[in-house]
Amino acid sequence: MNKYLFHVSGTHCASCKILIEDILGEQDFIGNVNVNLKKEIVDIETSSEKSAEEIADILTSKIKANGYILSVEKMIPEKKGDDLIWKAIPIGLIFLVLFFILQKSGILNFGIGTKTTPVTSFIIGLIASVSSCLAIVGGLVLSLSAKVMQDDGKLAKKTFILFHLGRVFGFALFGGILGFIGQAIGINFMFSVILGLFASAVMIILGLNLVGVFKKSKFTLPSNLFSYFRKVEHTIISPILIGVGTFFLPCGFTQSMQVAALSSGSFISGMGLMLAFALGTLPMLALLSFSSFSFAQSKYAPLFFKASGVVVIGLGVFALLAGLAGVGIINPLFNI
Amino acid sequence: MNKTVLTIIILGLLIALIIIFQGGIKIKDNSGITTDTIVQNSEIRDGIQYVTINARGGYTPRVSTAKAGIPTKLIVRTNGTFDCSASLVIRSLGYQKILPQTGETTIDIGIPQTGLPLQGVCGMGMYNFLINFS
Repeated sequence: MNKYLFHVSGTHCASCKILIEDILGEQDFIGNVNVNLKKEIVDIETSSEKSAEEIADILTSKIKANGYILSVEKMIPEKKGDDLIWKAIPIGLIFLVLFFILQKSGILNFGIGTKTTPVTSFIIGLIASVSSCLAIVGGLVLSLSAKVMQDDGKLAKKTFILFHLGRVFGFALFGGILGFIGQAIGINFMFSVILGLFASAVMIILGLNLVGVFKKSKFTLPSNLFSYFRKVEHTIISPILIGVGTFFLPCGFTQSMQVAALSSGSFISGMGLMLAFALGTLPMLALLSFSSFSFAQSKYAPLFFKASGVVVIGLGVFALLAGLAGVGIINPLFNI
Repeated sequence: MNKTVLTIIILGLLIALIIIFQGGIKIKDNSGITTDTIVQNSEIRDGIQYVTINARGGYTPRVSTAKAGIPTKLIVRTNGTFDCSASLVIRSLGYQKILPQTGETTIDIGIPQTGLPLQGVCGMGMYNFLINFS
């Protein structure tokens, strides 16, 4: 057995280690494989008598499709990241333009009956999930998903599922409670707006992080709150809590549904309305989080993360300005 | 693609975004009024001036004028409104309420004075309307 040490490039997430080790381990002339992500090196034991360069070439051909390259010499980091951002910005902007044209078009403003039933609330949920609410809820989902994905691909799937479960059941539970209470207590306006401002700040920070303004995958922010948030991000409780928390995020549709649940008269009917609404929003939000999951494992991962960063920043700034106008700190700058 | 082409694309998209946000794209709403037109939407009955604003997918008319110096009430009309415009905030009155999905909500705005416009926004801040008094 000969031992070799290669440099690897293209690793962008924790799951890359597993992927590379799996693919290389399958080759019959390869014994042990160990990837060190931090140093970007791969230790390989092999029975092959070929030269290091040849082995590097053979192995690279196996993992090139996934975006990784093995080399004997450490590759001088190209200015690849810079080029990537030039592609990511227009892609992200195209999405933003399309999104705001959709809002402006008025397509989403058709009337939906006067009576709110679980069926209509499901439809309202579908509309809400592509409406301006997407700016805040969807932006948050996209940024958190991409962030979790970038940090640790293994946990991502579980995290997403927990988030969506938390969201759907949280909505159902709170809808039921509102229906049970039945009085116009309402969700505190200020509370929801402040939560929205906080969410947009999180989005902008995560977006900048995804674009790569901050050092790769490293939070250098001193904020205690944020480091706490990041720490709990990976446990079971936090994705569920964040999912439940989306109930309180400012979204006109959600608030209308909350009022409908309040006046519905019983726990069961309130729960039915909010559950149907949350299920209506699910397809779009699930698409957002799971598309980041599949993109993150393809060779387009770096481009995807950067482009989503651009989208998330755009939505975050939009939500922030709108929220500030909502609390009356600034004058409304736009009417979308 | 080289950077010059991409830069041009980026600038183009940014300009598109600005146009969208500045309301350059005028799309007729359900009542057939383009959003930026100033229309007469107030009437005086029994010495009280009523200003009507429709709320659905934004507020129409966005900008309107009414008389100053007489008792005025604002009527906000909702019709199957589930979006943000249903959660109305009028800062100067300290008013905030989630409007019924369909119906009319009357808000007393006292006796407005010249040069003090009334501005309403939706809870998320993405829609607004303005009533000028003269």
